[in-house]
Amino acid sequence: MAEERLATRTQFPASAESQKPRLKKAQEFPILEKQNWLIHLHYIRKDYEACKAVIKEQLQETQGLCEYAIYVQALIFRLEGNIQESLELFQTCAVLSPQCADNLKQVARSLFLLGKHKAAIEVYNEAAKLNQKDWEICHNLGVCYIYLKQFDKAHDQLHNALHLNRHDLTYIMLGKIHLLQGDLDKAIEIYKKAVEFSPENTELLTTLGLLYLQLGIYQKAFEHLGNALTYDPTNYKAILAAGSMMQTHGDFDVALTKYRVVACAVPESPPLWNNIGMCFFGKKKYVAAISCLKRANYLAPFDWKILYNLGLVHLTMQQYASAFHFVSAAINLQPKMGELFMLLAVALTNLEDPENARRAYAEAARLDRCNPLVNLNYAVLLYNQGERKGALAQFQEMEKKIRLLKDSPSLEFDAEMVEMAQKLGAALQVGEALVWTKPVKDTKSKHRSASACKAASLQQPLGSNQALGQAMSSAAAYRKLPSGRRLHAALSPRGFGPRVPAEGLWLLARPTLLRLRTPVSRASWKGKLPYAGQIGTCFLSHAVH
Amino acid sequence: MAAASSSDSDSGRAESSEASSKWLDAHYDPMANIHTFSSCLALADLHGDGEYKLVVGDLGPSGQHPRLKVLKGPTVLTESPLPALPAAAATFLMEQHEPRTPALALASGPCVYVYKNLKPYFKFTLPQLPPNPLEQDLWNQVKEDRIDPLTLKEMLEGIREKAEVPLSVQSLRFLQLELSEMEAFVSQHKSKSIKRQTVITTMTTLKKNLADEDAVSCLVLGTENKELLVLDPEAFTILAKMSLPSVPVFLEVSGQFDVEFRLAAACRNGNIYILRRDSKRPKYCIELSAQPVGLVRVHKVLVVGSNQDTLHGFTHKGKKLWTVQMPAAILTMNLLEQRSRSLQAVMAGLANGEVHIYHDKALLNVIRTPDVVTSLCFGRYGREDNTLIMTTRGGGLIIKILKRTAVFVEARGEAGPPPAQAMKLNVPRKTRLYVDQTLREREAGTAMHRTFQTDLYLLRLRAARAYVQALESSLNPVSVTAREPLKLHAVVQGLGPTFKLTLHLQNTSTARPILGLLVCFLYNEVLYALPRAFFKVPLLVPGLNYPLETFVESLSDKGISDIIKVLVLREGQSAPLLSAHINMPVSEGLEAT
Repeated sequence: MAEERLATRTQFPASAESQKPRLKKAQEFPILEKQNWLIHLHYIRKDYEACKAVIKEQLQETQGLCEYAIYVQALIFRLEGNIQESLELFQTCAVLSPQCADNLKQVARSLFLLGKHKAAIEVYNEAAKLNQKDWEICHNLGVCYIYLKQFDKAHDQLHNALHLNRHDLTYIMLGKIHLLQGDLDKAIEIYKKAVEFSPENTELLTTLGLLYLQLGIYQKAFEHLGNALTYDPTNYKAILAAGSMMQTHGDFDVALTKYRVVACAVPESPPLWNNIGMCFFGKKKYVAAISCLKRANYLAPFDWKILYNLGLVHLTMQQYASAFHFVSAAINLQPKMGELFMLLAVALTNLEDPENARRAYAEAARLDRCNPLVNLNYAVLLYNQGERKGALAQFQEMEKKIRLLKDSPSLEFDAEMVEMAQKLGAALQVGEALVWTKPVKDTKSKHRSASACKAASLQQPLGSNQALGQAMSSAAAYRKLPSGRRLHAALSPRGFGPRVPAEGLWLLARPTLLRLRTPVSRASWKGKLPYAGQIGTCFLSHAVH
Repeated sequence: MAAASSSDSDSGRAESSEASSKWLDAHYDPMANIHTFSSCLALADLHGDGEYKLVVGDLGPSGQHPRLKVLKGPTVLTESPLPALPAAAATFLMEQHEPRTPALALASGPCVYVYKNLKPYFKFTLPQLPPNPLEQDLWNQVKEDRIDPLTLKEMLEGIREKAEVPLSVQSLRFLQLELSEMEAFVSQHKSKSIKRQTVITTMTTLKKNLADEDAVSCLVLGTENKELLVLDPEAFTILAKMSLPSVPVFLEVSGQFDVEFRLAAACRNGNIYILRRDSKRPKYCIELSAQPVGLVRVHKVLVVGSNQDTLHGFTHKGKKLWTVQMPAAILTMNLLEQRSRSLQAVMAGLANGEVHIYHDKALLNVIRTPDVVTSLCFGRYGREDNTLIMTTRGGGLIIKILKRTAVFVEARGEAGPPPAQAMKLNVPRKTRLYVDQTLREREAGTAMHRTFQTDLYLLRLRAARAYVQALESSLNPVSVTAREPLKLHAVVQGLGPTFKLTLHLQNTSTARPILGLLVCFLYNEVLYALPRAFFKVPLLVPGLNYPLETFVESLSDKGISDIIKVLVLREGQSAPLLSAHINMPVSEGLEAT
């Protein structure tokens, strides 16, 4: 116990101290940790300049022996992005005190940031030997294993981390593993637990909401997204997802006001401008829709969904040439989607190129599995060209798809589509298409029924027969059906040669297709909206510190 | 605080405009030259005259000249240098005797300096840490010259690898030395006993046995060797010692030492440990997964600010109650206690130049300051009960007084939608021209489409023709004929008038060498002169790069440049295998002369 009464009471200890012991202390070693507290205070206040100055001074005084100074210097290097330097300094720390698990943890963390996951795992294992019960080691080991795609090991380590101490981050990573493995249900389980553990974490709430959205459980999705928005009314992901749900229900004005918040926070988000564009589209403000979609396209030129929407809006605006370009660009990016080919075919039909339109329809029908609209439009085209047989085949194909779809309760057929199908059915003399009876009842229960009823009651034969007759007679010129392979080439904009068909025929085909165009846009508009699903899948990589 | 000076220009303007402000601006001096942390600020009636003074452990402008300053009102009363940087300052009552003037404790390095009546009274130094017995033993042996420095080094290294107790500075320094310096070092230091000294990182006070406002308090010290010490206020003996898993940074205490107390210590590993009386080890642990930047106890809630810009509330058992996101990084925190209204709240100085006052989750008040606030303190100053003292990063001092009529009201619930929602969307406008074009497309879409497709087709045709032509006339620098797969590229060096032209020829076949090739240059003889316009190429081994050099003399002095064509021919064939056009640079040598 070093106690001493100060002899001189008139003076402050400083001056008393500084005079006498200086001479004696010449040999004395400075205390290594003298200014660690100051370094730490500067560090946590993010005052890195002051921190570096103290570190430099301290290292000079102790000739590089002060471990904590080196440690913080390395942390600052890492924050500044000099990961290699930080790694070297942490290794120095590990040499200075080899028994300290923390130094090893930081070495491993730097290795991890450098992408050397295997090396990081080795060092973490070393650290785990020194400190058995550290959730951080387990968590980070788990993250390393995720990057090495060893999901089972990652799973085990993350569960260990949760046993030691529960943290939101661990839940997030665990959920990510399940998502990477494509197991949505398990991921939802994990996120549910996480939300129970920390009910105010907006990221967890948003992710859970998005997962429900992906599964189509809209009630729960909306609940969680709403919760996220109460805690953080400016949460970008949650607003976008909630907005897209509002759009599906036709609340375009509410969605637009919500999007304003996002537009302020993240003005350069392609999904945001896409959704805003589609809001305007829903409100029938087409010019605004096009400007917003074009901005989205400018921000994300390789996103086929935006191009798809642009194509759709231009079709509605009767700008078929532009629509053709947007849709064909979308097809180049996403060649496996039937609906895109259908849009292309609609554009081509209106550009008076029925041969290519037919090829596009054929490709669309080949790719598509569940959209009856593709076959309906194809059937109408064939019918207008006089190919009754082909039209009939497509019509039956459509009925098959409808029968499959009828089982799913959430689906609702568009009234205009039903009307058109009935007309075509009548024209093809397939009788009072039985398939429709049920869906029409479905629509009746919803308030759409009025128009559907009217459509049913009118029962006007499609495209008053003389026009059809003409169409049939002249359709002979378009007999040759291309094989699927060639067709594909013909559709990509590269292969498109100009084909000038005989005038006159096209005027016949037009009226029916014009009537058809609207259902095309509506239905696909519906299919389009859950854009948020895409946001949900893009995760940020998380790790501690 | 009658001396409410009118010089506080900046803050005065900003605040006085808000008539609703709860604060009176008492003093603002941007050049007060005070650089400190909240832990080094203390308010106390040091002379027992009812006039409260402000004690500042000042670190100096660059942490160079530590000083103890005592302020009365806006002026500095006394100022004295300190031997080392102050880590914390605290005022406490030492004994029951009258007059009951509080003593001032200042922690600095390994010592606590205690002042009474602003006179040095006592210096407490942390006890030496026990050295590693093995290390002690080794140095004793050295002293008796039983082992040589090299063995000593080996043994010490062995200790460093494994031992629980770290080595002393002396040994560590020795391990760093070169072989030649060891001998001198050992002879110089062997007689000294080895020492291990630690330093104080944080300090606070804890009531001894009464909960009264003016009860005797103990000092609680946190040290660099992960310990907490409780000191007796009169004898300065260590009453209790507790160990932590990490180095304490902030301390928060409640209760009385002799009865029951709870101690919360925010540590450098990002955890907060909660200890109780009779527990030598932490009872609860809060893992923040971030660094704490402040720790304040409000009634029974521990409020922690983390360096991820969040404020968390925890119970005394470590259960998380709430989290608030801050608009900027938290720099410092302290307690605001308005006794007259029995209000306790947390003040947080943020990096965006604001001080936010929170009661639990609810934001009570925001104070905008002209500079970033780095330390905060609230309490009785002078004769005014509710005074807020702030120091800024630039060394300024701000003193504000809470109006006696001021009532903090919690803004209940969410304040409606975020302001951004009222802003209009910036939808790009479309021009008249755009509308016209749209109309045109509607009218003549088909024609436009056909014209475009025709042109596209023609363009492709032309490109393909040009490509075929180039292939046919060997205008390309890569020959792909089966017999002579060759690659050529040329480099021109020099400023002129003489250039060096290097042709790099490569045989790209896998196995077959090529023999009997010729190189021919075609150029304008008025402009250029080459020593040899035609020469044979040696045998080309597959894969290797053959540089063929030749000089080109520029003859023109008008700064004209031209193309030199290089043809690679096979002996006995007139059509070239491949060719290259070299754009010669303008000769700069002539222009200069």
